[in-house]
Parts: sequence; structure tokens; C-alpha cells
Amino acid sequence: MQESLYLGTLIRYVLTFVMMVGLSLGVYGLLRLFRVRETYATGYALISPWLAGFLIFTAGPILASLGLSFTSYDLFTSPKWVGLDNYRWLFSDTLNFWPSVKLTLSYAFLSVPIGVIGSLLVALLLSMDIRGIGTYRTIYYMPAILPEVSVALLWRWLFNSEAGLLNMVLKPFLRLAGIKNPDWFGDPRFVLPAFVIMSVWGVFGTNMVVFLAAIRNVPKVLYEAAEIDGAGGFRKFWSITLPQISPVILLQVIMGIIGALQIFTVAMFTRPTSAAGRFMNQLIYERGFLQLKMGEASAIAWVLFLIILGLTLLVFRSSTAWVYYEAEVRK
Amino acid sequence: MNGDTVTNPGALALRRRRRIKTRLSKAIAYIVVTLGAILLLVPFFWMVTTSLKDLNEVFAYPPKWIPRPPEWRNYQDAWQAVPFGRYLTNTVFVTILGVFAEVVSSTLVAYGFSRYWFPGRDALFFVLLATMMLPFHVTLIPTYMIWKNLKLLDTFDPLLLPAWTAWGPFYVFLLRQFFMGIPRDLEEAAIIDGANVVETFGYVMLPQVKPAILSVAVFAFRGYWNNFLGPLLYLNSMEKYTLTLGMYFFMGGVHEAPKWHWLMAMSTVFALPMLVIFFVAQRHFVEGISLTGIKG
Repeated sequence: MQESLYLGTLIRYVLTFVMMVGLSLGVYGLLRLFRVRETYATGYALISPWLAGFLIFTAGPILASLGLSFTSYDLFTSPKWVGLDNYRWLFSDTLNFWPSVKLTLSYAFLSVPIGVIGSLLVALLLSMDIRGIGTYRTIYYMPAILPEVSVALLWRWLFNSEAGLLNMVLKPFLRLAGIKNPDWFGDPRFVLPAFVIMSVWGVFGTNMVVFLAAIRNVPKVLYEAAEIDGAGGFRKFWSITLPQISPVILLQVIMGIIGALQIFTVAMFTRPTSAAGRFMNQLIYERGFLQLKMGEASAIAWVLFLIILGLTLLVFRSSTAWVYYEAEVRK
Repeated sequence: MNGDTVTNPGALALRRRRRIKTRLSKAIAYIVVTLGAILLLVPFFWMVTTSLKDLNEVFAYPPKWIPRPPEWRNYQDAWQAVPFGRYLTNTVFVTILGVFAEVVSSTLVAYGFSRYWFPGRDALFFVLLATMMLPFHVTLIPTYMIWKNLKLLDTFDPLLLPAWTAWGPFYVFLLRQFFMGIPRDLEEAAIIDGANVVETFGYVMLPQVKPAILSVAVFAFRGYWNNFLGPLLYLNSMEKYTLTLGMYFFMGGVHEAPKWHWLMAMSTVFALPMLVIFFVAQRHFVEGISLTGIKG
């Protein structure tokens, strides 16, 4: 019976809902029993499903994966404590681990600035009040809605070494430079450029929408005042638009770094060969779920986690120097 | 020629020069925007056009832009090459249930975070925001162990059940931003009239946040429709595959030459529901992004 495919899940789906309602009511009842104020109890009751989910699916697993990273574990026999062995092994692994760290970081360092600056420029362009701009905006949103899987497959096809559109277009230039058709996802020299080129497409879409909204939120008065003072277009952008939207830029840089370092689906679908290089998330998947080395995979995941944390904090730290907040008094 | 009454010839020249300048910059803007749009649409066009070619045309050089005659068969053939119909049903099942649970739970949690104050609220909300920055892969293996211990591997449960816990911090954030904008008086009036929490929420707040709920639904739809990692980890039997996973294996092995016309046909089909939803709910989509400053 095919329907049994869904029935079990459906029953547990409803049960989980009932459990969450029960949890909320339980929390409320318990807190009221201890004479906690009504509004406090309601608040806690409302957020209790999230809190439960956070503890079970986020906080618990993070700590557990830290623990696992010090063990050798294959999912079937119980984990064996090996101390720092996983990390020691990783850091000496120049064949897989370091190349993937390098590829992942280089990708982030190249794609994030391109993405942020590019989408800002596009947003500036689209923020102009010219006729028909609405249609253009709709077209420019498109990459944001195309599914990642379709986009990845499409790019893999565009990058195809014999019949890909990109190589066909580049053919005359490549011949001039004396390069044969590059095998973008099979050659370690081309895999990084390929992913960076793909990320350029992401310039359009969501990031641009965010910038567009931010630019349009800049108070018009500021521009009018500047015009009276005789400021030109570039001056207005540099001294008004940029500082006004700098908090949004900060957010974009941070989300961009986090997203770029976690690239996975696109990499899985474009399938760079292992000789060409793999991203850290691919390595985690491979080590953990294909080779069942859960300890090692957890160690890689934690290294990635620390890299993301470190870079995020670094950007936050630097932001005091370049992000402008309205409420702040500037000297 | 323009018959205006400006007597100062200097001012007239200045104005004319400025008008030419704005006209020129407008023309440049149009050209740049159009070039960008073409650059953007060419890959998309290439996807659709490849999906309508036969195998010879796919590899033809110079490239053929319009396949003649269009091979509509490709769609039928690709669809039947693997059980895509079953994958579609699975995907729809997961997406509908996932979106529903996500919307209900994150609305309630956001309501709690925005309209009630309780000790530790802001710290907890900060934690919620921080989870947005968390690399998903760091929780992957222990989460997998949870589902393994529950004996729920190779079911849709791991993809669905966490949705009841307001799984997407972004959705809570988006809804909270929206709730915060609703004037307090509205709620207080309801409470004075003797409405309880459920009534206040249902009759007063819910109608107010309807646009935000639609935004969340659109984002959640995208999330579930595109989810690849979840199915990749948790679904083993073929008949449970979702479309993403089906496409992944449809691609063939590492050294296998993929059937590009079929793959492009399936990519197009897979993208279609997203495109339709986008054009129907574009406003909600864009509003959601603009309000929070992040993508879903």
C-alpha cells in the first residue's frame, strides 16, 4: 500500500502538534501554580515550543558534536574516546582537509565582496525613478526565486567543457590565449573561478532587494539638503547613501560570509571532482555519511563553526569603524 | 523654440545643459539595466531552449538558440525515466505539512516574543537570532543520531516534525518585526472588552499580520521545496525520494555523461511552481526581505 508511506508520518505530525500544545499549556499551568504573573506565564508558554526545539535540535546537538569530535564513531558501535586524534589527523591531512579549507575560504573572500558591491550597484541602478523600472526589478529578482537545484544544474550545463555555452562564447578568446576548453569542475585551476562566476549571478536577487529597500528608506530630506549645498551625484552617494545604509551592508557582509562558507547544495549538484576540490561541507557529508567517520566529520564541522564564528566577530569588531548608526553621536 | 520667458541667456544654457545631462544619464541607465537583464535572462533562456532540443542539437556548435522543431517529448520522456510523479507527490506532502506547521508555530512564538514581556525575553530572542548564523552542519550528526534512536530514519518525520518548534529563526524574526508595528491600544481595547489571549490573538492580531504570514508561507514553501540536505540524509528508499533527491540521482554518476536535454527539462519543471508563486505573491516576498534585511 503506497498510502502507508504517508500515514505514519501524518499521525506523528499530528501527535507532535498535540505535544507542543500540551507543552505550552503545561508551562502556563505550572507557572501559574507558582503564582508567576499572568503575562509572564503567557509569554513563556507561547515561546516554549521554540525553546524545546532549540534545546533538542540546536543546543544539544552542538555540544554533542563537540563531544563526538574527540571520539571515533561509526554510528553502530559506541563512540570511543580518542582525544585530539581527529584534529591532529585533520591538520596533517594535506590531501583533502587543507585544500577544502583553502577552497572554502577563497570562495568566501572572493564571492562576498563581489556579491555585496555588485548587488549594491545594481540596487542603485534600480532605485532610479525611470519609466518601466518596475518590470526591470521583477526581472532582476528572478535569480532569487529560481530553485538552487535548477540553478546549479543550469550552471553545470553552461560550464560543460565541450558543449557549454560559456566555453562556446569564450572559444575565440581561449584559442587566442592558447588554452584548450577548460574543464571547469574537473580542474583544480578552474573550480574556484567557476564558483565565483556562479556567485556573480547571485548579485541579482535577494541581496539586491534588501539594498533597494534600504536605499529607498533613506530620508529624501538629506538629499535635498545636500543638493542645496551643491553636492553632485557621487558626493550624495558617498556622504549620504553609503553611511545611511551601512548597517544593512554590515548585515549583508555577515550573512554573505556565513552563506558562502556553508555552500553545499550547489556544490553537490555541480559535482566538482575530488581532484578539482571540495568545499568543507561536502567533506563533512562525505566523511560522516558516506565513510561513517562521524568523529572526524564532527571535527571538520567544528573547525568550520569556529571559522564562521571568528570571521563574524571580526567583521562585527571592525564595524564600529565604518557602520553609522542614527542614534549615535559622532565626533 | 521652447518659448519660455527666461531673459538671462546664461541661465537658459545652463538649464538646457542640465536637461541634456539628465537625458543622457537616463539613456545610459536604460542601456546598463537592459544589458543586465539580458545577461540575467540568457542562462535561463538557455535552460529552456536546451530542454527542447534533441541530442544532436544539444552538442551543436555554433549553438542553436531556437530548436527546430521543439522536442516537447523531452519533458514526457524525462518525467517517465524515473518515477518523478511519485517524487512530486512526496515533495508536495512534505511541503504542505512543513509550511503549515512552520507558519502556525512561528506565528505563535513571534507573538510571544513581541507582545509579552517576561524575564529573559531579550536574551532568548538574541539566542534565536544567533541560531540564524549557525552552520547547519555542526548539528547534523547528533541530530541524525536522534532520528536514528527514534527509529525514524527513512521516513519524512525528520524533515517535518521539527517544523512544529518554529524551526526557522528567520520566520520568527520576520513575524516579530511585523507584530512590533501593531499599536498596543488595539490589544488593550480587546482585553478591556474581556477577550482572553486566544481571542485577542485570533480576532485582533491575526488579521493584522496576515501579510507577514503570507511572506513566511512563501519563504517556507521555497525552503521545503528546495530542501536537499534533509532528504539526502534521511530518505533511503527510492519511493520516498523528493524531487531534489530524485534530480540528484537522475544526474547520474560522477563519470556518466548526463542527458542534458532531460536534465534541463526537469530543472525547468522544478522551477515552475516557484516562478508561479513568485509572480502571484511577489509583493509578500519582496516585503518580507525588505522588512528584515535578510533573505529567508
